[in-house]
Amino acid sequence: MSGHISMRVNAGRLAGLTGDTVRLPCKVLRLSDDSAIVEASDGGQVEIQRKNVDVTGTYVEVVGTVVDASLIKALATIPLDSDGELDMTLVNDVIELTFESRFDKIFPRYHVEKEFIALDNSW
Amino acid sequence: MSSNDYYGNTGGGGGGFLAGGSPYGSTSGSPGGAGRKSEIAHSLRPLTAFQLLNATQAHSDAEWMLDDTELGQVTIVGHVVSIQSQATNNLYWLDDGTGRIEARHWIDSSVEETGSNAITEGSYVRVSGSLKMFGNKRYVNANHIRPVKSPHEIYFHLLEAMTVTLIWQRGPPLRPGQNPSTTVPPAVSSNVTGSSAYTAQSHTAAANNSQFSHLPKLQYAIVTFIQSQHANEEGVHVGAIARAVGGTAVTISNALDTLMDDGLVFTTIDDSHFQIAA
Repeated sequence: MSGHISMRVNAGRLAGLTGDTVRLPCKVLRLSDDSAIVEASDGGQVEIQRKNVDVTGTYVEVVGTVVDASLIKALATIPLDSDGELDMTLVNDVIELTFESRFDKIFPRYHVEKEFIALDNSW
Repeated sequence: MSSNDYYGNTGGGGGGFLAGGSPYGSTSGSPGGAGRKSEIAHSLRPLTAFQLLNATQAHSDAEWMLDDTELGQVTIVGHVVSIQSQATNNLYWLDDGTGRIEARHWIDSSVEETGSNAITEGSYVRVSGSLKMFGNKRYVNANHIRPVKSPHEIYFHLLEAMTVTLIWQRGPPLRPGQNPSTTVPPAVSSNVTGSSAYTAQSHTAAANNSQFSHLPKLQYAIVTFIQSQHANEEGVHVGAIARAVGGTAVTISNALDTLMDDGLVFTTIDDSHFQIAA
């Protein structure tokens, strides 16, 4: 995998991307010392392993590696501060669009065979 | 859509595609060729880092090309991975999820980047400028860099990059009633027959489309026909509408009454001329 790819994803797409670095825009539901439970843009809940990574704010983008379909090991978080709510339906629609093949020249792809697995899961 | 001055050009550079499309560069020898090149140079294209990293340059003084299209100014939204402050410029390492690229912002000592405009690591920013290569490292020479106004700007930018790239590949979205064969993608050389498709009207019409798409068939056909006539304040005569759309005087008249009640059309110079409400 060349270049720094960290595509924005939702909970449903994690299963096909184990081992890859992703970006998860999410709402923080529960925070504890070493971890956090967040809600992704498709409503799915994900656990974030966050040793020494700050999670501040309500809406954040978690950049990390996918451990499995419901666990991400955080490398960094980026606050998504907003005066109002972050429109997660909009976020989810955009995320799904970015994976469409007509945009293959705009967004890099993870391993092709993993994309097929993700498609199978979503059907 | 952004209210950027340059935005009007990104939809296809209205009128600039006279002779010699971009694959031929500016060697067409026609006066339109040179004019077109400076038009593109002033256009502002929203892109991802991945696209910037894939752009190509024939030689170090040549223009940048992306998928057979010339690039002018570019804009990108990404998060700041690191900042290196030097004497004359600041170096920002940006990551937007699709790749990483450097942005170099020359310090203007008369302008202080403080307070709400301060750029911090781990925050999202919008950068506008031009793509440059130094040695074999590419970077964005930033004219403008500022924090994003809201997290929605990240998603707006992704959608804008997708839309503009599709328009370059396939031509602008169809206006109501327009025949698909008359639209030509801007990246392909064309004569000016399709020029009306590239003007700002196509954006308005695409917006109007959704306003009318819920209408019953006859009313939709009527508003589509009126729009396609490019009429001025005089509007379109009801006879022309009836001939184009079909139906009896009664059905047309009733449809127009309903459209007027809904505020979608209005009468102009007399009761027989109609125009679309803006």
